[in-house]
Amino acid sequence: MKKLDKQTLMGIRDQFGSYPWDDAEISELVDPKLGIITGFQELLDQLEVLRKVDLEATPPAGDISSK
Amino acid sequence: MTATLAFAPLSEISTSLRKREVSATQLIDLYADRIERLAEVSKAFIRVDIEGARARAESIDKNFDGDLPLNGIPYACKDLFDVKDLPTTGGSQVLQDNVAHQDAEVVRRMNQAGAIFIGKNNLHEFAYGATGENTLYGTPPNPYDPSRLAGGSSSGSAAALGFGLCAAALGTDTGGSVRAPASLCGLVGFKPTYGRISTENVIPYSWTLDHIGTLTRSAADTGLLFDSLALELRPPVQTGLDKLTIGIPESFFFEHCDSEILDSIDALMNFLRQAGANLKPVPMPSMEFTRTVSLTVQMPEALCYHNRYLEQRGHLYSQDFRAGLALGQCLLAEQYIRAKRFIETYRNDMESVFAEVDLILTPATPVIAPKIGVVEVTVDGYSEPAGNAITRYTSFFNMTGHPAITLPCGLHSEGLPIGAQLVGKHFGDEQLIDIAQQIESGYDFQLRPPDLD
Repeated sequence: MKKLDKQTLMGIRDQFGSYPWDDAEISELVDPKLGIITGFQELLDQLEVLRKVDLEATPPAGDISSK
Repeated sequence: MTATLAFAPLSEISTSLRKREVSATQLIDLYADRIERLAEVSKAFIRVDIEGARARAESIDKNFDGDLPLNGIPYACKDLFDVKDLPTTGGSQVLQDNVAHQDAEVVRRMNQAGAIFIGKNNLHEFAYGATGENTLYGTPPNPYDPSRLAGGSSSGSAAALGFGLCAAALGTDTGGSVRAPASLCGLVGFKPTYGRISTENVIPYSWTLDHIGTLTRSAADTGLLFDSLALELRPPVQTGLDKLTIGIPESFFFEHCDSEILDSIDALMNFLRQAGANLKPVPMPSMEFTRTVSLTVQMPEALCYHNRYLEQRGHLYSQDFRAGLALGQCLLAEQYIRAKRFIETYRNDMESVFAEVDLILTPATPVIAPKIGVVEVTVDGYSEPAGNAITRYTSFFNMTGHPAITLPCGLHSEGLPIGAQLVGKHFGDEQLIDIAQQIESGYDFQLRPPDLD
């Protein structure tokens, strides 16, 4: 998986009907300087590991049954 | 009437009210005086309604109904809960004009049980963060050391109780936001099984993970509140400590933890062994990706709710929450659903664990209350953001939805409270609270109230 770049997130913002986040906020997600968000790339890397786990037919969690 | 009453457990206050040793009005006056006197230092309240509380207290005093379980008990709630005719701000500039048209279901239930609403508590903006910091209303400090955090996100609720400004408080717990601040402030924090207390008319943070919780001075008080708040009560299951099998996690929950906290948990475990409990090491699911899974669910859900305000008022959100919401925008639907499927696997794995044990014991937090303003904490050679550390041992059980209670069990050499966490089976809330009460009454440990002078 390639490293996330600002252009990708700007594309989501501009082409996906997203809230118009400031350029500075998008930059912070890609290249954190202010320490507001750390580890978005790391989060994506971890999600990529999780993507490769076969969860078989496990459904998404819902309410908890009282049985 | 002395300040001691301000720190008394509900049961004691209730007895005094029933015996007419103190009136509900006098009680409101006591707390109102303390709230005003300690407002600057505690930063616990965003809004108080002393006039409304006094009117209700006078009405209660005129015709005191001893059958109401919480009659005359003053309580506060985090400013995410709707209280009719008052603004629900979420601790944010965004919702300064958001006046509620009806009470949250839990507020309605508290009032129905006779409790008196006294005010709205400060919090981390919209519950986004475990440090409880709030740039608009200030950061509630720890009553045991004002240079340290009360913890969050229910920071004002913990500070209100810790500074003796109300008799009980309600908060929300999405990753430990009730249990962790309660523990850091020497209080009892409880979140029920997912869904057992209504979240209706409470501003959501993450529908999948949000729980309503209680902050009290004792586990017995927790039981009193839960009886009034639970959507459906179950017959109490009373199990003596000598009949219990208590799971001690073999991994994660005792790692990178302050050594004095570990000593306190050891001492508690010794007490439990001596009381006849069987302590059994249990393997836990892998925690490697739990924070990732939690965040992947939280941020899109938070964005999904706050989207209603972003267009018009987006500039009023704090910078850090906006950044979190922006992150939520950039996750894929498949990643979100996959994360929810992982949560299901955690629940299934924990079913296997709970097939072997009645409950699980862990430290409540791996650290004592961090200093205000500290960004990162290091314990046992492991560094992480302060907010992550505060909720490291609590957040997993928001995903699994198990009931969990934190209770004080020690005092650190730095003068800060230490807490333990007990986690029960799904729908075992009543049993969990009962066991916590047994520990509370049997374990030779009492935390002195903070020295506020």
